[in-house]
Amino acid sequence: MAYLINRLLSVALTLFLISVITFAVTNILPGDVAMMIMGTQSNPEALAGLRESLGLNDPQIVQYGRWIGGILTGDWGTSLVFKEPIGPLIAQKVTASALIVVMSMTIALVCAIPLGVWAAVHRDRWQDGTASTAALIGVSLPDFFWGIMLILLFARGLGWLPSSGFVHPADDFTLAVRHAFLPSLALGLGLMAHLTRMTRATMTGILGQEFIRVARAKGLSERTVVWRYGLANAIGPVLTVAGLQVGYLFGSIIVVESLFNYTGMGWLTYQALLNRDIPLIQGSVFVIAAVVMLANLAVDLLYTLIDPRIRLA
Amino acid sequence: MTDPIVTLDRLRVTFGAGDATVTAVKDVSFSIAPGETVCVVGESGSGKSVTSLSLMRLVEFGGGSIVDGRLTLMRPDGAVDLAQADTATMRGIRGHDIGMIFQEPMTSLNPVFTIERQLTDGLRLHLGLSAAAARDRALALLKEVRIPEPERRLKQYPHELSGGMRQRVVIAIAMACAPRLLIADEPTTALDVTIQAEILALINRLKREKGMAVMFITHDMAVVAQIADRVVVMYRGDVVEEGPVADIFANPKADYTKALLAAVPRLGEMRGKPAPEPLRLVGDDRAPQPLTPAANPEPLLEVNHLTTYFPVRGGPLRRHIANIHAVEDVSFTLNKGETLSLVGESGCGKSSCGRSILRLVEPASGSVILDRKDVLDQNPRDLRRLRRDMQMIFQDPFASLNPYMRLSAQVAEPLRNFGLAAGSELTDRVAALFDRVDLPRSYLRRFPHELSGGQRQRVAIARALAVNPKLIIADEAVSALDVSVQAQVLNLMMELQADLGLSFLFISHDMAVVERVSHHVAVMYLGRIVEIGPRAAIFENPQHAYTRTLLRAVPIADPGTRKLDSDLSFTPIPSPMHDLTYRPAPSTYDTVAPGHLVLRENA
Repeated sequence: MAYLINRLLSVALTLFLISVITFAVTNILPGDVAMMIMGTQSNPEALAGLRESLGLNDPQIVQYGRWIGGILTGDWGTSLVFKEPIGPLIAQKVTASALIVVMSMTIALVCAIPLGVWAAVHRDRWQDGTASTAALIGVSLPDFFWGIMLILLFARGLGWLPSSGFVHPADDFTLAVRHAFLPSLALGLGLMAHLTRMTRATMTGILGQEFIRVARAKGLSERTVVWRYGLANAIGPVLTVAGLQVGYLFGSIIVVESLFNYTGMGWLTYQALLNRDIPLIQGSVFVIAAVVMLANLAVDLLYTLIDPRIRLA
Repeated sequence: MTDPIVTLDRLRVTFGAGDATVTAVKDVSFSIAPGETVCVVGESGSGKSVTSLSLMRLVEFGGGSIVDGRLTLMRPDGAVDLAQADTATMRGIRGHDIGMIFQEPMTSLNPVFTIERQLTDGLRLHLGLSAAAARDRALALLKEVRIPEPERRLKQYPHELSGGMRQRVVIAIAMACAPRLLIADEPTTALDVTIQAEILALINRLKREKGMAVMFITHDMAVVAQIADRVVVMYRGDVVEEGPVADIFANPKADYTKALLAAVPRLGEMRGKPAPEPLRLVGDDRAPQPLTPAANPEPLLEVNHLTTYFPVRGGPLRRHIANIHAVEDVSFTLNKGETLSLVGESGCGKSSCGRSILRLVEPASGSVILDRKDVLDQNPRDLRRLRRDMQMIFQDPFASLNPYMRLSAQVAEPLRNFGLAAGSELTDRVAALFDRVDLPRSYLRRFPHELSGGQRQRVAIARALAVNPKLIIADEAVSALDVSVQAQVLNLMMELQADLGLSFLFISHDMAVVERVSHHVAVMYLGRIVEIGPRAAIFENPQHAYTRTLLRAVPIADPGTRKLDSDLSFTPIPSPMHDLTYRPAPSTYDTVAPGHLVLRENA
């Protein structure tokens, strides 16, 4: 329990720091919100009036207080590009991206763990070489390459899946998954390569441990030894790395969502950056940071369930 | 004699393939009968572990293969050749007919499963017990291996148990299905001497009560003398001698066995000798020269009230919440040309004490006077100069040498560091140091991985000697070495002491080695010296209860002096961790005889 409180406190502290950094960085960028609204050719007096009414002349700390107060009370401001309240806009896009992130992570883990274990069991033989080479190729090639290949193969070539667009899961779940599948696979392939290498390395270390030999000396079947005794010890480090990769995923969705014209957080952030939509940039960055932190918190809590040594620490 | 349970016949095991094939076991034959303990003894690389792993057919998981020989196991339904048995048969035998215990209790248990699960999965598999029945049996097993509070242990995880308790659990796992053969591969090597005595007594009792056959693998002749009925001596993959334990010790036939036994220091054999003296090794015709100390020795190192704490941090802000009291008010004097040994079990503070003297860790208080200068008062520049006079040799010669540097460069480094020599003079001095530690000059250009453990430790000694120190702190300097190599390195250290007038602070857990090399001995327990005095006083007239416990627990390399008749149970060492408000009492001593001090117990 003390552990949980400690972790939650540190998450709150980190989110606070992220909010300060986000706010500061977007305010250092050239051009302010008033200029964005009225355009560069606008009347200086009108611009000054708008600045005054938006409170842009107040000290930074007051502006930050106003912004974070709005974030906490649910008033996230209005997007300059979309002319919509930012809160509901982000909420909708986060749902879209969450679908991709969860699907790609599932695809990656479901493939990477067995592949990594298989490579570790057959260490230094052809199975290991094959898995390691495949993983190396996966790590080396960028996501958009996989995206293009997948579109060519599954959308253009075989025509099995749509190549672009987004359907909200609440409207038609099956169709939503079909639209999310190719972007998820494009992201999942690179991720899978990382996690396969991680699983292989961790399992290789664990299979060399004495308790594995003790398990074999008990007469347990090789399947039990590897998949229960071994994997129970390897799963924690693998999930930790998977948690860290959630941050990497949110970086990658900017490219992949644009490629598949999938209107999620990545696509939204890209639009915000392109149009210097400062309130939207602030909101998006803050949400992405929060989601990544929560994903890692979830992994840490999961770890305590797997590894008894953490519980007492 | 009853029929053997297991018979090894011309076993041959190889690793690797093609040109890289290494034959680990060449031609090994022996057998083990019910109720009999056969010790397989040999140094590292002799093939003793590979032999035991072959019986379980676990050798295949390490890349080995049994290329020849028969391994006949008698089962109730007839004989099985383990070398030819299929996977399913082997799975039925492992953990059922043959149980196995390994060396490292800290890593032998799966850290993420409860003790109950690890004890019961074999029972459920081999005996088909229900969960409840397996649990009852697991509890009975824990009682049988005499673990305190067995009910609670079932629900615990391995990290919640001490090393000794874990080894008891590992034994319980091996004993779970009442195997007819128990293989114990160095089961006490990683344990403290008191726990070793407990575990040896436990294995002995289980053998007696169950009538099992025990195959006990060890490198330690003292353990062999304590537990074996018969002994198989292995050397480089072959059996060189086999026989009843009394015969092997009293009348060894093979040259190798003779050399091995000559190299073993035996507790008590220094009785009546006034000064330490080198071991007399086979092939060494010189009479050992005793290291008689000077009549009026001058003190070199005076340690007064030395105290070292390690902070323990915790909480979200990593606050300082407690202290580990590693060294607690330690005082002693080491004379020029003499050896003082710090002896004790793991965690007693003996290594921290050595490091504090060199200021490799910063002591909290006290004084360390080396040749009239207080080490603890020196500024960094003077301390550097002072460190020329005190050098250290570490335990692990594999880790204490830089793998990327040539040996000549590593020995030259301290000389260069202090600007003591350069150019051809440096080369000459390094070569002379190699001569001094009996290493061939051709090794100057080599890298550490090209040397054996004993040779590396010689390099470490040469490096320590390079700056002509007055004091050498040897922290478990021979513990990682095979016994014959250990004897050579000990002899070298004693020879250097005689020739150069060196003083050694010898830190060790091994009472027999300490008895061999020391002029004075200090016994440490929980950070304090509990008893200090001349060697003879400590070994022949121990006063403190802990010194007596240690001496009682040490196995003696003599089958005539057995100590394992009854179950042993020593008091576990309490934790040295205390909160910040804890104020320890000073160490006060009673003088038993001149120079022989015993810690007064605070009531």
